[in-house]
Amino acid sequence: MPRFLLFYRLMVRPLFREPLRTLLTILAIALGVAVVLAIDLASDAATGSFRSSMETLAGENELEVVTSGGVPEYVVGTLATLAYSIRVSPRIEDYAVITDTKKSLPLMGLDLIAEGGAYAQSALQKTAESQTQSASEQVFNRLGDADGIWVGSSVGYRTSDRVELLINDRVRTYTVRGVYPDSNGNESAIVMDLAAAQHALGRYGRVDRILLKVPETPSLGDWQQRLRTVLPAGVEVRLRGTATNENRRMLAAFRWNLRLLSCISLIVGAFLIYNTISVSVVRRRPEIGIARSLGASRGVILSAFLGEAACLGLAGALIGLPLGRLMATGAVRLMAATVESLYVSSRPGIIELNGASVLLALAIGVGVAVASSYSPAREASQVSPVEAMARGRREYDVRVHQARDLWLALVLGLAAAAASRAPAVAGKPLLGYLAAILLVAASALAMPAFVDALTSVSSNLLGKVFGVEAMLASRTLRASLRRTSVLVGALSTAIAMMTAVGIMVGSFRQTVVLWMSDQLPADLYLRPAGFAAADRHPTISSGVAEEVAKLPGVAAVERLRAYEISYEDMPATLASADLNVRRSHRNSDFFSGRPSEQVLAELRDSNAVIVSEPFTYKHHLKAGDSLTLSLGATQASFRIADVYYDYSSERGSILMDRQTMLRFLPDPAPSNVAIYVSPDAPLEIVRAEIEKATAGHRVLLFSNRDLRAEAMRIFDRTFAITYALEAVAIIVAVMGIAGALLALVIDRRRELGLLRFLGAATWQVRKLILMEASLLGLLANLAGLALGFVLSLILIYVVNKQSFGWTIRFHWPVEILFGALAVVYGATVLAGLYPAQVAVRLNPIEVVHED
Amino acid sequence: MKTRLAGLAAALLLQQPLAPQYRTALPGYRYEFPRDHFNHPDFQSEWWYYTGNLKSLDGHRFGFELTFFRQAVSRDPTRNTVWEVRDLYLAHLALSDLDGGKFYHLERINRSGPGVAAASESLGRIWNGNWQTQWHGSDQELKAVSERFQLHLTLHPEKPAVIHGENGVSQKAEGPGHASHYVSLTRLATSGDIDLRDKKFEVHGTSWMDHEFFTHQLEPNQTGWDWLGLQLQDGTELMLFHIRRMDGSIDPHSAGTYVDAEGKTTHLRSSDFKLQPTGEKWKSPLTGAEYPIHWKAAIPKLAIELEAKTPLECQELTGQTKLAPNYWEGAMVITGQRKAQPLSGAGYLEMTGYDRPVQLVP
Amino acid sequence: MPILSFEDVSKDYLTDGQPVHALKGLSLNVKRGEFVALVGRSGCGKSTLLNLAGAMDFPTTGKVLLDGVSTSSLKDNGLTQLRRERVGFIFQSFQLLHTLTVFENVELPLLLAGKHNPREAARERLAWVELEGLGDRHPHQLSGGQMQRVAVARALIHSPSLLLADEPTGNLDTTTGNVILELLRRLTREQNTATIVATHSLEAASLANTLVRLRDGKIEEITRR
Repeated sequence: MPRFLLFYRLMVRPLFREPLRTLLTILAIALGVAVVLAIDLASDAATGSFRSSMETLAGENELEVVTSGGVPEYVVGTLATLAYSIRVSPRIEDYAVITDTKKSLPLMGLDLIAEGGAYAQSALQKTAESQTQSASEQVFNRLGDADGIWVGSSVGYRTSDRVELLINDRVRTYTVRGVYPDSNGNESAIVMDLAAAQHALGRYGRVDRILLKVPETPSLGDWQQRLRTVLPAGVEVRLRGTATNENRRMLAAFRWNLRLLSCISLIVGAFLIYNTISVSVVRRRPEIGIARSLGASRGVILSAFLGEAACLGLAGALIGLPLGRLMATGAVRLMAATVESLYVSSRPGIIELNGASVLLALAIGVGVAVASSYSPAREASQVSPVEAMARGRREYDVRVHQARDLWLALVLGLAAAAASRAPAVAGKPLLGYLAAILLVAASALAMPAFVDALTSVSSNLLGKVFGVEAMLASRTLRASLRRTSVLVGALSTAIAMMTAVGIMVGSFRQTVVLWMSDQLPADLYLRPAGFAAADRHPTISSGVAEEVAKLPGVAAVERLRAYEISYEDMPATLASADLNVRRSHRNSDFFSGRPSEQVLAELRDSNAVIVSEPFTYKHHLKAGDSLTLSLGATQASFRIADVYYDYSSERGSILMDRQTMLRFLPDPAPSNVAIYVSPDAPLEIVRAEIEKATAGHRVLLFSNRDLRAEAMRIFDRTFAITYALEAVAIIVAVMGIAGALLALVIDRRRELGLLRFLGAATWQVRKLILMEASLLGLLANLAGLALGFVLSLILIYVVNKQSFGWTIRFHWPVEILFGALAVVYGATVLAGLYPAQVAVRLNPIEVVHED
Repeated sequence: MKTRLAGLAAALLLQQPLAPQYRTALPGYRYEFPRDHFNHPDFQSEWWYYTGNLKSLDGHRFGFELTFFRQAVSRDPTRNTVWEVRDLYLAHLALSDLDGGKFYHLERINRSGPGVAAASESLGRIWNGNWQTQWHGSDQELKAVSERFQLHLTLHPEKPAVIHGENGVSQKAEGPGHASHYVSLTRLATSGDIDLRDKKFEVHGTSWMDHEFFTHQLEPNQTGWDWLGLQLQDGTELMLFHIRRMDGSIDPHSAGTYVDAEGKTTHLRSSDFKLQPTGEKWKSPLTGAEYPIHWKAAIPKLAIELEAKTPLECQELTGQTKLAPNYWEGAMVITGQRKAQPLSGAGYLEMTGYDRPVQLVP
Repeated sequence: MPILSFEDVSKDYLTDGQPVHALKGLSLNVKRGEFVALVGRSGCGKSTLLNLAGAMDFPTTGKVLLDGVSTSSLKDNGLTQLRRERVGFIFQSFQLLHTLTVFENVELPLLLAGKHNPREAARERLAWVELEGLGDRHPHQLSGGQMQRVAVARALIHSPSLLLADEPTGNLDTTTGNVILELLRRLTREQNTATIVATHSLEAASLANTLVRLRDGKIEEITRR
């Protein structure tokens, strides 16, 4: 109890003496915690949701039978008549867009005759209390209707509502035959019978997968063994949810990178806690001395300061929890967009703030606070009773071991260089990130020397150019070197991250822009209006492309068909194209550097494919290797003729000749069509012709330029979340600057008062503080830009390459970067406004005579 | 007869108007076997019905029921893809563990689909998923798999097929076509295995097969029926059914068939026999229906008096989907006398419409 | 004309919500070349008088005239201007900026006033206080007496007409303190400034031309020699 009192008086009470600064520190922690939490929650919701509908509605089935391009439907009969007590549930799965609301929902075709009982039941419950037989008959009657659909209750329709659905390139009207309970919206889908689904999608002869429920014995592995013997070669039986797991695995790198990015704010927050506790240690040296001379042990002092930090951390975490929950809502939207365009169609799931996330928030809040306050708290505990009570000691005379720290920084920098050359660990660029962290640490260590050197060199010059206030500001910052270094460290870390990510994204964007100019040679592109995503490839009714090809002014059409497949436990896209139409490109898109015609000629009607760069990276393949693909009921081996650059999707892609694919998967409907217009035909007229010819279909016609613009829009949307994360980190840092300047003002109030005695006008005092803010901003920008440049190299050539397998060409996004830096600089100066006001309001008479 | 499950199927399925595209059962139908053992897609409804009393080597008694129904839904020639619902195939599987006092039953519904269910003469097979009967000449191999038990039985006919009713039709109500074509194999020597809860029983006994096809439904005033099929130890078989009416009376179209030891059949009109419950009832805890499980039958012109009791009261089949009517179908033990000579046997009893009238949709 | 005159000046404060009457109807004239010692117990109003004299604060009633200009007639900027041109301050605890060199400390008032190239003036002032050659040192490299000399040099950098020193010897040993006082008196004479020293020191009192004894915000006694 006495210890607690001591702790309270020494540590907690002072917190209330400067409520604003305490609040700023807490808010900085809160923001850091909130961002980490938000990203955690949001990535669960955004990437977890693709599981939801298909998998939740998949029920308790343990196994699934799948193959590329769909399982031939006779396999359903084979499985259904096996002398095992297994339940066989074929599924046709796709997406439909409700034309009224533009909402896309999973479309599930299932055997409503065999499995309809459950749906009929829930439909029954919804259709009044009519448990009467006739109602049930009516429900059952219509299970097989071609226009009947069942919807989850969260979709908001009622029985016998009419709903217009856009599926692939067609719109049809359906009637809601029943509504099934869908408590959290996670299971909302449009359910129809297999026959209706086949009609809707125009896909006959195949089902997307067959779910199996098998008896408990023998093991699932044994069941897989048994079932393989009766399945055709290309057809695979695997654990249900494998796709989900594969998607998870594919998304792991994305989530991981995002999570790390979300930690930037926390790192910045850690700098600020360090600063806050350091300041409070320095200020309370006399109190510490007194406490020590009254018998407080070093441990008590240490734990008191750690306790103070923990209090701040806890308070920050408690504010961060609701804040994080709130931010997650926004983050989910951003992330879902990214996930959808890069990986897998997903709808944001619900955000669940559960016990684990609360614990996580508290742990990181308190943990970061305690960890970052350890060093100043230890320093406090080493204050000797006598030393602390000695008067006249200068406040910020904290020893800074510049030379030692520089050596250490050098060592860390070398370690970072070594780490950046190491390969990925378990598919994750762990060492790349280690290198980045080492560099941040190295720069933190080098910061005092940097600040010292720069301020000592510049202060006289500053004085000449910007007046005595600038000189004083520079001297002040240099004098409280450690505090300044920490502030510059915090802000420069945030700026470095911003710069690094900015350079990476800018380089990536530029790479994509260049790549697209090679990749999109056609004049017009046609694609179905239905829901498309990285893993969803709606089709255009077969025949449409051929109609278009016959139009006057159309030189050629190229049909592209994409399928979603699984290759060696990873999702991939399998595509085919009319290779004979492919025109030669300006540059080679191939690793080999060979001209496109030469590579594509190899594919023509042969078992050869080209694969995308991320694909080779994921599967450790290279040109000349061969890969085995399951296509429908068969398995075939393909030679990799070459590897092409592809920035359209992070999932790997395999491309073959259309004729080759049709041999295995005879569905002729293309996913999209590239149209080449004759050089002598006016584009707009041809375009109008095509629009007329495709009037009966819901298709989207893009000009080459539109398509590029659309691609860049998706690209930018994809990285929106990273910008948001950086913005928060910058806000945290700027808040820290404001808080620190406030502390600086309060600590230097006597000096500021003195200046007034010596003839300084109030505007000069204000200018002094703003100069300090500005200098901090300038130093941080310089350090941040330098560190950011190095980090961007790590991001581009190590982290990106190891996580995603993309080759990105370095590019300085000059305007955006300097625009952002200018904004940060401006914000830093603005952060000085309030402390400057406080400084101006000080009464010089009072503060000069304090002491 | 059996309108038996006609009502069941009808109630379950689409209440489409009796479209003229389906044939009705009319007198003078020329039966031809084995063709007529298989599918009759021209008729709207059809079923194959197997029941039997079996005993394992160590004397453990079982009853079983395996039923395949087909109900035509559409004959629209444009709806011709594999998953299109042209017929609904319903099947029931039940095992009565008479000495174990347990009753197991399952239900499944499928469309024909890609070989999921059908009755194919060319394959000699009638199946619904992994429940099937495979014809080998005149013998049939029954296989049915479920989570808790499996049947694998060989059925050998000891008599030729019986055609019930008069002039090839079993009349169910007044008017032409209100009838079915009704064929039975009344005495099928049965042997095989029953796997029940990890235990294999080698069993022998006698089974009965009914096969009926028609385009017809119960009349509005008909509420349900009781059907009894039994094999007597003197080598004769008897089938009796009566249709109950709303007012409690028995429909005059109730009928029966007597098969003598040589396989010669005698058609029994409703006036030829009496079929009466004794009043002993079993109340279903599930549906609340009270089933008379003890019956007396008398056929004065054959001088037969019989009593049918069941060794297992709980042989009610309740639909999992609650869409099909519930009914009681179970193994029976027969005692009685013919011309003062004691008579015994085994059989199956079916009772429908006890929890509610087997409702017909207008 | 007096360089500084107090005309019936009263000054009230609120301290912890309680009104404190620091000065009560005080009148005083100080001429150039006059060395005034202000004595009295702590809290008698010495510091308040200095602050009012140095245009750091306004009187509640009455007038403070600096070179004939009433401080009450000026806004904040005017006061700042007045201080820059007319007043030099010396404090008990020296109040040097440790981040600046001796030169820079001395130059500070001129720099704040926007004057360029103050180095020569600084060199000269340092000569006055006998600290030639120490201009590039930092304050922490100096002794207490040297620090106070730097403070004196700083106070004189802009050739003020009024020098205000609040307990300039309070942090110094007696000998050093006496040297500082002697210096102040000499410079007052040489530079023809008016100097007011608030002090407890008898030595200071004995050196002064004018001894003003304050008690409870009033002049108890003025002794002119």
